[in-house]
Amino acid sequence: MREAVVIALCIVGLFFSLSGAVGVLRMPDLYTRIQCSSKTITMGALPVLIALVVAEGPVSPYGGRALLVALLLLVVNPAASHALARAAYKAGIPQWSGAVRDEVRERRNAAGENER
Amino acid sequence: MTDVYIAVAIAEIVIGGLLLVRLARGPSVCDRVVALNTLSTQATLSLLFYSAFADRSIDLDVAIWLAAFSYLGTLIWARFLERGLL
Repeated sequence: MREAVVIALCIVGLFFSLSGAVGVLRMPDLYTRIQCSSKTITMGALPVLIALVVAEGPVSPYGGRALLVALLLLVVNPAASHALARAAYKAGIPQWSGAVRDEVRERRNAAGENER
Repeated sequence: MTDVYIAVAIAEIVIGGLLLVRLARGPSVCDRVVALNTLSTQATLSLLFYSAFADRSIDLDVAIWLAAFSYLGTLIWARFLERGLL
């Protein structure tokens, strides 16, 4: 029974990892790729890590390390994705031609800033 | 259960191989950083499952530090880009 749970969690995690990787390959611009990358890390990695915790127990060396990696991903991944997207925007990397809105520009135009 | 471990480790490596294509094509450095960040996560998971499969606890710490430095690298790179140093 526990093995079935582990296998199910691993399949879910691998499916999301694979779809995220395909997204990173196929998405048209940097910002959409960052979104796919984040999905790979959260929905892809977390179920797999939980599977390892279920399989080995949370106090074993493997389960404990998996929990630690899961916490690390949850905390740092949003910061890294945000920092990268913000830096790319400031560096002037353009959005895809099909993008429907740019809220940062709208906000700045409303504030009357001359920048960008 | 060890069969599941090695299967997951290999699957993660295959997914990482997909990301190598984006790493090679880019076109911008930002795209490569995104691919590298994601690739490091897959490598971390693969290493965790391989260590459970082979019962080698030393690989666990390697996996943790790999994940930590991958994110640190992304954050630092973003800082450099933001200030126009690249």
